[in-house]
Amino acid sequence: MTDRRETWLFLLPGLALLVVGFIFPIARMLVLSVQGPDGHTVDQFARFFQDTFYPSILWRTVYLSALITAICAAIGFPLAYIMARSGPRVRLWLVIMVILPLMTSVVVRTFGWMVLLSRSGLIASTLRDFGLVGRSFQLMHTETAIVLGMVQVLLPFMVLSLLGVIIRLDPRLEEAARTMGCSFLQTMRRVVLPLAAPGLLAGSILVFTLSASSFVTPALLGGPRIEVLAGSIYKNVTQTLDWNFAAAQAVILFAGIALLLIPYLRLGRRAHG
Amino acid sequence: MSDLTLTNITKSFGKVEVLRGIDLTIRSGEFVSLLGASGCGKTTLLRIVAGLEGVSTGKVEIAGADVTDLPPEKRDIAMMFQSYALLPHMSVAENVRFPLRMRRVGTREEQDAKVKAALETVQLTHLADRAPRQLSGGQQQRVALARAIVSNPKVLLLDEPLSNLDARLREEMQVELIEIHRRIGLTTLFVTHDQDEALSLSDRVVLMNAGAIEQEAPPREIYDAPATAYASSFLGAANLVPARIAGGLATLADGQTLPIASGAPDGNATLALRQENVDFLSEGGLAAKVITRVYLGSRHRYILDLAGQTISVLAPASVMLEPGSEARIGIAPDRIRILPG
Amino acid sequence: MVRAVPGWLRIAAFVFVLLAAIFMLAPLVVVMGVSVSESQFVAFPPQGFTFRWYENALGSPAYLGAFWLSLNLAVLVTVSASLLGGAAAIGLSRGRRSGGAVETFFLSPLVLPSIIFAIGLLMLWSAVFGATSFYALWLAHTVVAIPYVIRTTLAVLAERDPFLEEAARTMGATRLKRLWFVTLPQCRPGLLAGAFFAFNISFDEAVLSLFLRNPNLTTLPVQIYGQLEFSPDPTVAAVSTLMILITVALMLILERMLGLTRFASG
Repeated sequence: MTDRRETWLFLLPGLALLVVGFIFPIARMLVLSVQGPDGHTVDQFARFFQDTFYPSILWRTVYLSALITAICAAIGFPLAYIMARSGPRVRLWLVIMVILPLMTSVVVRTFGWMVLLSRSGLIASTLRDFGLVGRSFQLMHTETAIVLGMVQVLLPFMVLSLLGVIIRLDPRLEEAARTMGCSFLQTMRRVVLPLAAPGLLAGSILVFTLSASSFVTPALLGGPRIEVLAGSIYKNVTQTLDWNFAAAQAVILFAGIALLLIPYLRLGRRAHG
Repeated sequence: MSDLTLTNITKSFGKVEVLRGIDLTIRSGEFVSLLGASGCGKTTLLRIVAGLEGVSTGKVEIAGADVTDLPPEKRDIAMMFQSYALLPHMSVAENVRFPLRMRRVGTREEQDAKVKAALETVQLTHLADRAPRQLSGGQQQRVALARAIVSNPKVLLLDEPLSNLDARLREEMQVELIEIHRRIGLTTLFVTHDQDEALSLSDRVVLMNAGAIEQEAPPREIYDAPATAYASSFLGAANLVPARIAGGLATLADGQTLPIASGAPDGNATLALRQENVDFLSEGGLAAKVITRVYLGSRHRYILDLAGQTISVLAPASVMLEPGSEARIGIAPDRIRILPG
Repeated sequence: MVRAVPGWLRIAAFVFVLLAAIFMLAPLVVVMGVSVSESQFVAFPPQGFTFRWYENALGSPAYLGAFWLSLNLAVLVTVSASLLGGAAAIGLSRGRRSGGAVETFFLSPLVLPSIIFAIGLLMLWSAVFGATSFYALWLAHTVVAIPYVIRTTLAVLAERDPFLEEAARTMGATRLKRLWFVTLPQCRPGLLAGAFFAFNISFDEAVLSLFLRNPNLTTLPVQIYGQLEFSPDPTVAAVSTLMILITVALMLILERMLGLTRFASG
């Protein structure tokens, strides 16, 4: 047996499982999306873009995801930098602070936000006590609630992507920049940020993708009236049982994410080569 | 009796020819160094002897048996890696036992005795139960050595084993390697890019250049009488000065002449002058211009311009010449090596 | 840390980290608080202290059934993902370079949102086998857990001395012996960490489980989700708190055995 054959022997069981359990299902979904009662059809897609209802769901999904990604990047970059440049003890605590929520079920975390954001919850009642908002103030079932909850759910992905890159940066680069006349903030902007760009890009893609495709948090915090694309898919699969239409919506989601991923893979390759 | 015979070994990686017809025979108990700059093919040759690389053409024989197609685990060899390659999850003693266990040598008790003997040889008996990561670089290196000699292989292969040590430790280990080799006399093939190491350790130095053997000879001979311009410049940093030979005299490019030993054929030649063999004279000899003086503590190094050629010369610290001034230098005729071309 | 950071920035950084910590941990703390509050409505800050809701949860056949299903599933997923992912990582580490096409393929379940794969799997399973079953969940969770095992194991293998296997060969170790005495011991910390992640992912997973659920196939996160959709109560807070505690326990073990930071930034 050659070494090559041995290597493939190690890879094969996992590959086989992925083909059967991952590639086949995706292929099945693609097929169903263009299947109608009388053979192939694009009716499902036409239905999606027919009136303004579904396009408005798509638009909400896109802009909420973009907003969530931007907020995650704005919080994640300084947090990851502080983590990378603090001592091992502090870093361990910060890692725990990021990983513990990440490893907790998304259902449980969303529950926490439901409690915090409810009409009688901590946030609303505090704001009311300070007289900042009126009696009918409501956070639950708003887009703000979705954004708050999703940022907490997805921030760890951004922080870990950035941390992986920043921790490998040589701190002497920053010291060198300082000796050449950069202030601390200029060093951040001119040295750290450009070098951390791959991590920022990877984290942003990850956060955007996960955000656009999640439905547990939006469904529970946004309520039935503020619908996003993934929630609509879930509803069509489990409630209206319109699988072909659900498949078509999944394809639209899939295509949108692919459009986002392809330029990213290009960029990544250029950075490597 | 020879323990290792290489016949016409060639090796190509794709279109790149790394080894171009190597013939080499190593006698039983001999310590041979493969010396060369990085990329000359010396490590590839060692890996071919180990069986870690195949040959493109040629034959490898160990103790008279053709092993060209045998994998490393079936060859009676031991190899010491530059990174030591100690198994991090095993203790020192377990590491040293590993080759015996893999090759099923003797009973458990016999293995214990061999491990103990090998650790004694490298003076590490007291660290037998430690994990490799708890040891210093020098100690790890001894463990790797013990592991290499414990199975008493037909051929011991050493791949730049001293290059990760600091200068002082390296000199100590050189002395120790000489002693151990004298005591147990394993047939050894040693790869290095360090000429001092090659000269001080081996019975024979094989100088490699661009995938071929440039010269092979005992250390003193290869140093004193390098056969080619490459050999003389690689060993001991010789200065190469072109000259015309006629009737026992060499004429330099600027017309100056100096006497040489008899026997060299007339015509164009290159003079190889070792930096430590050039003497400063108060008068006579050759005229050269001082370019730079470098203080080395016990000595000075002078960079001189001799007949349009930049040469490097070592002088006692007492010799003080200013850059820009003229120096008079002389070389004993029997210290001048004359190379064709 | 680069010295000469302005003082006001240090203070700002401290405040920032504090706020971030509150933001990240508040939802978990709130759930824990609700679970011990005497009020029978979901309320925070808690009023009084009681373990009543835990008794309630532990006495509920629905929660207990869901818990056993989730536990069985997570254990089996841990085994299958570790075996397949570990083997794949060993295979991948022998490739010429990292980041090749095969590696990208193995890690693709990390990139592709699970909802897309969930809906496809539901449709495929229904077409081939009819109603979804435990095996469907096992397959689905294994697919999403494998990349984590591969990543942790590859991270460990990338740090090892690349000449170990060759050294073992020159010492007479044959193929199987090299696997057993050299490669597997090298993989151990990565495999262990990957196993922890696999267990945690399967135990907490909601999306695939929601798509593949049926009345006889309700995992613990699905059970909680159903309750939250219907009406949150302190009992579901108690169950959620138990899930948080399991995660904390897993993290503590992981940190003690292997160190968290090592796998967090890979």
